[in-house]
Amino acid sequence: MEQGGEAQGDEALARRAGEGDESAFEALVARFQGRVYRLARRLTGNDGDAQDVMQDTFLQMYRGLGSFRGESKLSTWLFRIATNAALMHRRRRERRPAESLEEYAPRFDDDGRHPLGEAELSLAARADELLDRRRLAEHALEGIDRLPDLYRTAFVLRDLEELPTAEVAAVLGCEPAAVRQRVHRARLLLRGYLSHLVGVEP
Amino acid sequence: MTTMTCRDGAELLMDYLEGALPAEVRADVDAHLAGCPRCVEFVRAYREAPRILRESTAFEIPDGLVASLQKFLTERRGK
Repeated sequence: MEQGGEAQGDEALARRAGEGDESAFEALVARFQGRVYRLARRLTGNDGDAQDVMQDTFLQMYRGLGSFRGESKLSTWLFRIATNAALMHRRRRERRPAESLEEYAPRFDDDGRHPLGEAELSLAARADELLDRRRLAEHALEGIDRLPDLYRTAFVLRDLEELPTAEVAAVLGCEPAAVRQRVHRARLLLRGYLSHLVGVEP
Repeated sequence: MTTMTCRDGAELLMDYLEGALPAEVRADVDAHLAGCPRCVEFVRAYREAPRILRESTAFEIPDGLVASLQKFLTERRGK
């Protein structure tokens, strides 16, 4: 249970934790562990890596709270730590380079029109019809995993964690326009990936 | 009004859906959509994809992980 109390703001808890109040630190962990886990799972693609990222993130938070000045929201600062930890983890991991999703980018004919014969499917209906929940989650993580780093981080923070564009920009240290462009490219690729997935699965 | 292609519309889709386009450009997209069922379907899939991915990856933290995180942090903070 949160000893700091539900009404206590994140930044006030962070200040107390930074001054050495262990119960305030524990309250912050309890408050954010679910979101950090979900973010880490989405960014790394698996449970084991998510666990490592979560440990790194809260340990870095513990060590950094003394110098946290409250210039950004605590959540922004924490998501930045978690996102960087996930990226570091991906780079350290022995893995084959993910196959690009570029083949699923939208195609147009010479006149800039959707080619005939490429009918769109209702993704939601087909996904529910064809895939059980666990398989859909596996495919979803694979699609996210195959995005370039820049697109993946922006897309996960903006569309999956549903942070406002300005906060995503603050987490990633880039301009809001760059976030929008990356999220848009990610959506185009993932739309094609999902369409392909539900179109070809028996 | 300019002639907008499917490709042009696809490039503008995020701004269109968020109401961030200038009025005249938005009108061009609307005019294109009114005559292009394929783009209507494309827009639908573009909107559905993030929602499907969000809902299918809405993982809850496992109970065992809460306990192991606490243990890990307690040990590290003691050092």
